[in-house]
Amino acid sequence: RQGTAATMCPSPCHCEEDGIFIMVDCSEMGLSSVPANLSPLTTYLDLSMNNISEIQPRAFHRLHLLSELRISGNQLRYISGLAFQGLHNLKVLMLQNNQLERLPDDAPWDLPNLLSLRLDANLLSVVPAEAFRGVRSLRHLWLDDNSLTEIPVMALDSLPSLQAMTLALNRITHIPDYAFTNLSALVVLHLHNNHIRSMGSRCFEGLNSLETLDLNYNDLQEFPVAIRTLSKLQELGFHNNNIKAIPERAFVGNPQLQTIHFYENPIQFVGKSAFQFLPKLHTLSLNGATQIREFPDLKGTTSLEILTLTRAGLSALPLDLCEQLPRLRVLELSYNQIEDLPSFYHCSALQEIGLQHNQIRRIESSTFQQLASLRALDLSWNMIESIHPDAFASLHSLVKLDLTENRLSSIPVVGLSALTHLKLRGNTELYEAFSPDNFPHMRVIEMPYAYQCCVYGSCDSYKPAGQWDSEQSSTNEDLHKRTVAMYPIHTDTHYDPDLEEFQLEIEESKLQASVQCTPTPGPFRPCDSLLGSWLV
Amino acid sequence: SERPVLRAIIKVTLLKHEPTGKPLTLEGVFVGGSAGKAEGKLMQYHPLSLCNTSEDERQESDFITIVKLEHRVHHCLPLPDKARMALDKGAQAVIFDIRNDASAAAELQEVDSLPRPVVLVEDNNAKELMDLVNKNEEAKVVIEIKMEPKWPHYD
Amino acid sequence: HKPISGVSSGCQQGGCLTCSDYNGCLSCKPRFFMHLERIGMKQIGVCMTSCPPGFYGTRSPERNTCTKCRSECDSCFNKNFCTHCRAGFYLHLGKCQENCPEGMVRSDAQRECIL
Repeated sequence: RQGTAATMCPSPCHCEEDGIFIMVDCSEMGLSSVPANLSPLTTYLDLSMNNISEIQPRAFHRLHLLSELRISGNQLRYISGLAFQGLHNLKVLMLQNNQLERLPDDAPWDLPNLLSLRLDANLLSVVPAEAFRGVRSLRHLWLDDNSLTEIPVMALDSLPSLQAMTLALNRITHIPDYAFTNLSALVVLHLHNNHIRSMGSRCFEGLNSLETLDLNYNDLQEFPVAIRTLSKLQELGFHNNNIKAIPERAFVGNPQLQTIHFYENPIQFVGKSAFQFLPKLHTLSLNGATQIREFPDLKGTTSLEILTLTRAGLSALPLDLCEQLPRLRVLELSYNQIEDLPSFYHCSALQEIGLQHNQIRRIESSTFQQLASLRALDLSWNMIESIHPDAFASLHSLVKLDLTENRLSSIPVVGLSALTHLKLRGNTELYEAFSPDNFPHMRVIEMPYAYQCCVYGSCDSYKPAGQWDSEQSSTNEDLHKRTVAMYPIHTDTHYDPDLEEFQLEIEESKLQASVQCTPTPGPFRPCDSLLGSWLV
Repeated sequence: SERPVLRAIIKVTLLKHEPTGKPLTLEGVFVGGSAGKAEGKLMQYHPLSLCNTSEDERQESDFITIVKLEHRVHHCLPLPDKARMALDKGAQAVIFDIRNDASAAAELQEVDSLPRPVVLVEDNNAKELMDLVNKNEEAKVVIEIKMEPKWPHYD
Repeated sequence: HKPISGVSSGCQQGGCLTCSDYNGCLSCKPRFFMHLERIGMKQIGVCMTSCPPGFYGTRSPERNTCTKCRSECDSCFNKNFCTHCRAGFYLHLGKCQENCPEGMVRSDAQRECIL
């Protein structure tokens, strides 16, 4: 408590001066009613987290200058229309986390300058038609986490200035036509975590300014065609619903769309033209739409950066894929039936390509040509028999290459000097042991056979098999044996303090650059090939 | 496949005692295949801050993240991903206090591709570090590979 | 505006469900928001009925969390919709910008674009 604030500060609250005004904090003080002697110069009053279960009529009638009133986290069941009389300048009213069961309909709250009203986390099952008659300037309304079973259409008619509203976490099952007709200024509408099963095809009429629509976690059976009227829509979410198809020209009315989230839907069919002419869309992800046979036509969707189309039925890719998608950074097409690859030459921004689990047989010289930004390439679980010697020549940024489970007998190393991860397991015809000099930055390498790992560990300095514990325990005492074994420099040196320092430096640098090569050679997979041929 | 368990030396110097202060020397175990040296200011992160929904809280200078794991906290991500997220947020290294999360060590042992050092601490080593954090005692930490004595058991 | 409301410090907070000495709140009671508050080198969990200035609350059936608004917003409804701007920025339809659309002027008192 300070200065004049001290004299005007109701006990046991804390007060701060704000020029001639005062800010009063009575939060978490165990109060069961609104303090009586509040100063008319109060601009901010926090009564949150107390035990207030009732607000007397005209409890704040002298607080004409009050701008923000917080009564969240109390036990209020009902607040009469007269409770907030006199609060002409109130801009923010927080009533969340109470037990409000109904709002006044006889004499609605008269708060002409209110901008933000928080009613979330209460027990409201209905909003009377007259409830918002006295808050016409309202811009932000929180009604989420209540028990509403319908959109409060009539009540919303009184809010022409509303810009952001959440009705999430309620029990709404249907959105009727013309539900939001008067909300021409609404920019954000959250309806996630309801039970919405159906919606009128004209239910979003009037929402001319809507930019964000969140329909996630509902029970929608059909694609929400009602979005067609939302010409300003930028962000749309309807993931975790029950939608099985995305129709042709699905987003023809939404040219401003930047993000569409619709994962976790049993989508089987996608219209070929569904995602055309979305010049601002940067992410498109489709997983498990098994009825997709052809690659979608993405004409006019030129800003796409991330395209994920997995577990569908694609067998080929359009030759002009990169002409349509020049800004592509991530291309994830795993779990399809793709056989031949076009040249990704024009996709110069590509950083990641996922083509695992397809039916690719060969890689041409032009396939990945000029992809100087490519960092990760996953071609595992295909049928690749041959890779053109120059196929990786220009992949200067490639650090991860996965060729697991293919039919390779050799791989070109030209262009792969930046690799830190290389996986070749399962290429049973590949016998070559690659020299570490090819991969100066290698950290993790998986080879078809253990002997191919010998070039990465000092296999010669291993003690005779008898010394190599058959069951390698992981206790620390063994650490030294294996550390010494991996770095022979220690093996037969007499103790010399200067040399010790020098060796520590080398040892430390080696430890940092140690390569993890598997399968690890061992007593049953020794490095010395038996009778000159490992296979015998 | 068996991987050498490398131990870490953790030298902790209170910033208010720099540069002459004698460092507190603690120990831990490297995991994630990224043993090595790291240095930075100690910075605690709540276990829930390393989740997909966490926002980007950038620190100015070099820092080393310490997280006290809690088995009661909802595991929003596997620990290797939490470690990667901490490193992606700019940490020079990550220290996990695993006293209250018995499964943590096993979960992190098999990881191989973490870009920078990740260290597990327990017992008194963990307690000393977290007591510093609890008292908000700003400290600089240097992590190094513990060089085991040359011939501890041989003739 | 008061910096933080609806919260008490340490483990004995009203909204805390499970708590630890080092991490503060680990989980919150139903309908409370979990906010991760940084105090120097410490970061503790705090449970509150409304997120602090500069953060907005997101409710979901499993948990409610506080997330940081855009840097130019003092308060916001969600990531893309500000409700009050930082000094030097002016609010129009949920966006905080340094300049106002044509036909509107900047009000420094409310940090808004007005006609």
